This record gives sequence, C-alpha cells and structure tokens, in this order.
Amino acid sequence: MMMAGGTLPGMLAQGIAAHRGWIALALAALVLLALAPLYLSPFHVRVAQLFLLSAALAIAWSLLGGFAGYWSFGHTAFIGLGAFVAGLVETGWTWPSPALAFAVGLLAGALACALLAGLIAYPILRLRGIYFAIAMLGVAQVLGELNNSIDAFKGTMGIVLPQLAPRAVEPATFYYYLLLVAAAVTLAIGFAVKVSRLGYGLLSIREDEDTARMLGVPTERYKIQTFVLSAVLTGVLGIIYAHSLGFITAGSVYRTDFSLNMIVYALLGGMGTLIGPVIGAGIMVVLTQIVLGRLLDTHMFITGALLVILVMLAPRGIVGFVKPILARWRGGFR
Amino acid sequence: MNAPLLRVAGVTKRFRGVVAVNDVSLDVPAGSICGLIGPNGAGKSSLFNLITGYLPLTAGEIWFAGRRIDGMDTHLIAEAGIARGFQIAKPFPELSVLDNVRMGALFGRAGPRDVAAATEGALALTGLADLADRPAMTLTVGYLRRLELARAIAQRPVLLLADEPCAGLNPTETEEIVGILRQVRDRGVTILLVEHDMRAVMSVSDRIFVLDAGSKIAEGAPAEVARDPRVIAAYLGAPEAAG
Amino acid sequence: MTLILQTIVDGLVLGGLYSLAAIGFSLIFGVMNVVNLSHGIIVLIGSYLSYILWRTLGIDPLLSIPLVMVALFGFGYVYQRGLIQLAVDRSSLLASMLVTFGVALMLRNVLVLIFSPDFKSITPSWAFNFFVIGPITVDLVRISALAASLVLLCLLALVLGYTHMGRVIRATAQQDLAARLCGVNARHVYGLTFGVSAAFAGASGAILGIVLPFSPPDEAHWTINAFVVVTLGGVGSPSGALIGGLLLGLISTATSQAIGPAFPNAMMFLILVIMLLVRPAGLLGNAFSGSR
Repeated sequence: MMMAGGTLPGMLAQGIAAHRGWIALALAALVLLALAPLYLSPFHVRVAQLFLLSAALAIAWSLLGGFAGYWSFGHTAFIGLGAFVAGLVETGWTWPSPALAFAVGLLAGALACALLAGLIAYPILRLRGIYFAIAMLGVAQVLGELNNSIDAFKGTMGIVLPQLAPRAVEPATFYYYLLLVAAAVTLAIGFAVKVSRLGYGLLSIREDEDTARMLGVPTERYKIQTFVLSAVLTGVLGIIYAHSLGFITAGSVYRTDFSLNMIVYALLGGMGTLIGPVIGAGIMVVLTQIVLGRLLDTHMFITGALLVILVMLAPRGIVGFVKPILARWRGGFR
Repeated sequence: MNAPLLRVAGVTKRFRGVVAVNDVSLDVPAGSICGLIGPNGAGKSSLFNLITGYLPLTAGEIWFAGRRIDGMDTHLIAEAGIARGFQIAKPFPELSVLDNVRMGALFGRAGPRDVAAATEGALALTGLADLADRPAMTLTVGYLRRLELARAIAQRPVLLLADEPCAGLNPTETEEIVGILRQVRDRGVTILLVEHDMRAVMSVSDRIFVLDAGSKIAEGAPAEVARDPRVIAAYLGAPEAAG
Repeated sequence: MTLILQTIVDGLVLGGLYSLAAIGFSLIFGVMNVVNLSHGIIVLIGSYLSYILWRTLGIDPLLSIPLVMVALFGFGYVYQRGLIQLAVDRSSLLASMLVTFGVALMLRNVLVLIFSPDFKSITPSWAFNFFVIGPITVDLVRISALAASLVLLCLLALVLGYTHMGRVIRATAQQDLAARLCGVNARHVYGLTFGVSAAFAGASGAILGIVLPFSPPDEAHWTINAFVVVTLGGVGSPSGALIGGLLLGLISTATSQAIGPAFPNAMMFLILVIMLLVRPAGLLGNAFSGSR
C-alpha cells in the first residue's frame, strides 16, 4: 500500500479529518464491543465472534469486490489456504510456545496467500465481470479439492491446531478479542485504502477501467496490489478462525458459503462502502444465528429467499437505501 | 522555432488489412491550438488512440516533449502530461462531478498538495462549481462535455487532446466551450482538437491538419486550408480531381 | 487397450449427459447474458419428477421425458418473466446471478424437505441388461442414455434452426436491439428461451436419473459442469455444448482412471480456469466477447 502512493500520509490525514464523525463512531463501537464479553452470555459472545469474523471478511472482500468491482466468488480459497498452511507449519515442527507457533503460522499462511494471489493476479484480473467471478470460484474449488485429496496436506484427516488461549481465559472470550483486533485492523486498512489515491483509483476502475487508464491510473498495478492485500487479510482471518475452531478439515475451511456470504454482506449493506459490509454482516449474523437458529430445516430456504428479496428490494444495499433519506433529513434541518 | 511539443512521425495503423492511419506525420508546436479535421472515418480518433497508447502502432514514431512515447503504457503517457477528452463523454457515472474532476487531479500532474486547487480550478474554469455534488449521470449533454474537459484540465496536462468537445451542442454552448479552450491554452496548455464544427475549429486553431481516409492531405493556417482544393474535394466527396 | 476403450465409452456416455445438461445454461447465457446458477437445481428437479412418475405411476423414465419437459418449460417461462427479468431490470446482471443463486438454495432446501438428502436412483426393469461388444461391456442403461441425449440435442438443433421460435431466439441472441426493432417481443423471447432451457435441463435430469444416483446437493455440481462445458465449447450453440460436454466427459473419466477418483473435479476446474485465460472464446471460438 505504501507503494500505491507516496502521498499516503498526507491523504490519510485529510481522510481522517474529513471522516471524523465516522471514526468517532467506529471507536465508540470498538469500546462497546471490547466490553461486550462482560455483559453478554457465552452464547451471545459466540454470535458476536461470528459477527466480527463475518464483518472483517466482508471488508477484506470489499477491497477488491466493492471498491474495484471485481467480484470474487472464491475468496474462501484464501481462508482455506491460510488455515492449512498455518496448521501444517504449526503442527509440523515443535515450537517452544503456542504463541510462537501461532506467530510463525500466521506469517507462513499470510505469505502463502500473498504468493498465490500474486501468482494468479496478472492473468486472472484480465478477466472481467462474471468471468473473473467464476474463475475465482474455480481457483477455490481446485485448491479445496487438492487439499482434500493429497494426503500430505491432511485435508481429509484434519489438523488439530494448538490452543492459543491461556489457561485462565475462556477460549471463546480469547478468540473474541483476537477477532476484535483483527476486525479493527482490517477496518483501519480498509479506511486507509479508501481515502488514498489507491482507493480513488480502484473506484475509477470499477466505474470504467479503460477511461481510468487514460486518466493515468496504473490499473494493472492497483488491481494486483489490492488483490494481494485482500487475499492476505482474508488468509489472516481464516487462520484465526481455524484456531478458534481448534480442528480443521478441508471441508470446514474451503466453503462455498464463505465466499458467498462475503458478497451477500457487502451487497446487503452497500457495495463499495466500508460501513456496508459491517451492517450487512450484523444483520445476517443476528438473523441466521438468533432468529433462524431454531429453524435448521429451512435455514437454506430462508437464506435463499432473503437473497432474492434483497436484490429485488434494495439493489444498492441498506446504505444506498438510507443515504437519500438521511440526506433529505439533514437538508431539512439546515 | 523550438522543437514541437508533439511529433507524430510516419505513423501507420492497420487493422487486419484495413489502413486506419496511413503514414501520418504532424508537429504540434508548444503553446498552440491545432485543429485536426477530416470526414468521418478519416482516422482522427484512431490517431488519438495511438497517441494515448490505447492502441499499438503498426509503424512510425511518436515523440512528446523530447521523449519517445509510442509503446509506453497508457497510464504512463497520461502521467507524462497528455490528457484526453473523449468524443462520447465518459464520466464515471456513479461518482459526483467533484469526484470525477478530483480523479483527474489525483492521477494527473498536480502534486499531492495541489489536488484540491487543481480540482477547484478546473471546476471554476468550466463553470461546474455549482454542480459539484451532482452525480455525473444526471448531467445534460452540454454539461457532460464540460465535465469531460474539466477532468482533463484537472490533470494539469501539458497537451490536451480534445475529441469533438462541441459535438451535439448548440451554437451558444459551442461558443462557451471554445472560450474554455482558449483560456486553457492561455494557461500554457497545448491543445490538439478534433472537431466537426468548422466555424469553431477554424476560429480557435492556430494550425490545422486535414486527414482523409487515413492520410494527411493538407496542413496550414486555417485560411489556407479552407481554400485548399484537396480539402474541399475530400469534404464534398468529389473524385480525386485536384492535385 | 481395453481399459482405454472402456474409458472412452464411459466418457462419451457421461459427456452426452453433460452436453444435454449444459445446453440450456448455454442458451440463456448466449441469449440474455444471464448466468443461471439455478440451472443445476432444474436438472435435478427433472430427475425427481421422473422419479415420482416412475415410483407412483410406474412410467418408464425414458417415456417420462416429454412430460418432464412440458412441465419444466412452463416453469422456466414463468420463472424468467416473474423473477429473473425483474432482477435484471432493477439491478445488474451480476446481481441477477445472486437471485438465481438464492432460488437454487430455496429449491434445494425444498427438495431436501420432500425427498431427504439421501441419494435416489431410478432403476427401470431393463436396467440390468447389458451387451458385450468385443472386449467392452456396455449396459443398456448407458447406451440408451447416450442415445437419448444425442437425439434430444439434435432435436434442439432442429428447433433452433428451422422453427419460427428458434429463429427468433437466435436473432435475439445475435442482435438484441435489432431484433426488438424488427418487432420481436424480447421479453417473450427471453421467457421462451428460459422455458426451452429448463425443458432440456429437465430432460437431462430424467436421463441422469437412470445412469447415476442423485441427491439435492448435487445441483452445484451440475451448474458448474454446465459452466465448464460452455467455456470449453462456446456459448449458445448445440454443437458447442456437444463438443464441450463430450470433452468434459472424456477428461473426467480419464482423470479418475489415470490420477485417481478424487481428482476429476479439480481437473475440471483447472481446465476451466486455463480455458478462461487462454481462450475465452471457447474451442469453437464464438461469443464470450464480454470476458475482457
């Protein structure tokens, strides 16, 4: 990202100044969420944990999908790859402490995601629209199947990951805080991208890639950088998720519904915004975990129906739906 | 006289056997407004596509400010100081007028500190300041043309390639665009202008190049070119009688 | 040698089925640029319809094909006019893809609720007959499946080539605007195309039922297969689907034979990704212009 514009600090400062209200809101939410385990039941802490993971994943996906308009249908590839590389590294050697094992695993997993993304970025980002979406779906499927079928990768057998939570701390609470940090970092990175030259460049790519190039936007470089960044963030989140599960198989981390959910959250909340994926994740997690938690039989039907209703009624997401109303409301008071 | 700002030397472009641009050479002096005219399909837009690196050349060379630019990446050519306004205005539809213009400033030659100034300057010059918050897709054709120019001006270009900025405009609007172009030139930007509105192009240009069927058939001051029998023949579609 | 021949025959049988299952997907893609992610579930609805007819009324699965096709034609027409078209109008093509995905989830859930997630299969009385040609064993089920697939593909080619409906569909696919200017009601044509697409998907489902066991979660597999077939063969034509399908069938059986039964899917996707990258026009080289 630093490569993306030598002007990052200046623009970041301007961006912070211009978005003071939002940043205050985000910090308030952070404090509220940090205190949450004190007043939530264990079940609700797990729901909140899922919300943090979902929101962060959706933001990571949005860097490429929402900002640049390159909708990946296979981001679960990076969740799975990150999780398995980390797992294999952490269990393949003996490490002096679980924390060190985790640190090395995190680094290795993130590196693997960066490598894969960097390797396929140039050819795959030449595809547009549906073709990019499907090619990414293909990448995820190939990776998942290979991980599952090649014994050395332990996809079928599974990997038991080292327990990171100290004895004194409830694991659910521990992973809650770990995910809270990860989500906050992801959001901060997303913000830094959004207000930078890179962010504007991605927006111009989404709007009209050829014109963007003619304006001097280094489209290839921006797309590749963003793809790698998005992949690494997704991978890191996948690694933390894997540890929170404790035991992973290929089936539990390469999941098409992960890929899909990232899109749904962003779409539901508002494509191309940062708050959108967070709102989308919040609504869907609450809905599926709390409201529909008891309707296991019809869970899929209701998710599908929601998807259909969503696209039909609010194609621009909740942000797109609320924004004009808010603007009118503000206008009325000024 | 100094070396020209833009030198197109013996440029040819073939598309599968069709010659769109045939051995065209032209020099655009710094600080001038040059008109590029010719009947439909003469190769004017193709030439712009070649200069901006959007299409590769078949043969020839293009030099800009002493650097050879053919074969360079489109975005690097833009960085070097060539901005282009499209024939069919291509704003970013979902973005506001302000963001559209700012996009030009951000990726243009204004330094990071000057982005705001370049944006505001371009908006003021094109009379779009009052519409800054409107989404680009809600503008009328006349204002879209201005936006197209504003975005290019915000890039702080050395050379502005304007592709029919007056197409589809009424005489008053055309006058206004011509006025904007003059002001841009007065600020030291060289302009190469493709335009069908003869009155506009003749009045504003210092020098005119005429393309027909991919080849340059004439060049000179507006008055000379207007009298040139080859040019008249090309426009009237007469058989190649004149020589 | 025998093994290779047997692999080829198995691959062709599977390939015929893939072709037929993909042709509808290909048509919709070619005519209206919609990627129908509910295509696979429509294939399976065909299988389950045929299954019901066989279990309750004892109708032979091959004879049930016309019934299944009529029912699904109606379904497809209504589905397009009632939902897909609205989604395309209100939102974008990409978003319409999400709508079809939502529908796939809903229908899959419905199938699970009605039929359970277990595998079902259709075994008509003649299912266990087979014949031996030289060293190769071919059972009657497989050969009739291949024959039925090919006959239906030819039928579709004839419909597209020689009927009024077919000509209108092809015209709309090539020049949407021009066709509309000539007085073609594009929405009606889209509906018809969806109907034809669903009918042939259903037919392939009925045939699939006698060759392979099926269960609701398979739908994703059939959708993705269709996409691969289209990528291999090109969009919108029965001949493209035939070539793509047969190739895919051969590749699948050869991969599971040569590398291992776990790998055909990975191989398929590898080919999909490579094809998209190196030859986005498909092997026959038509359409796919929008990919770059």
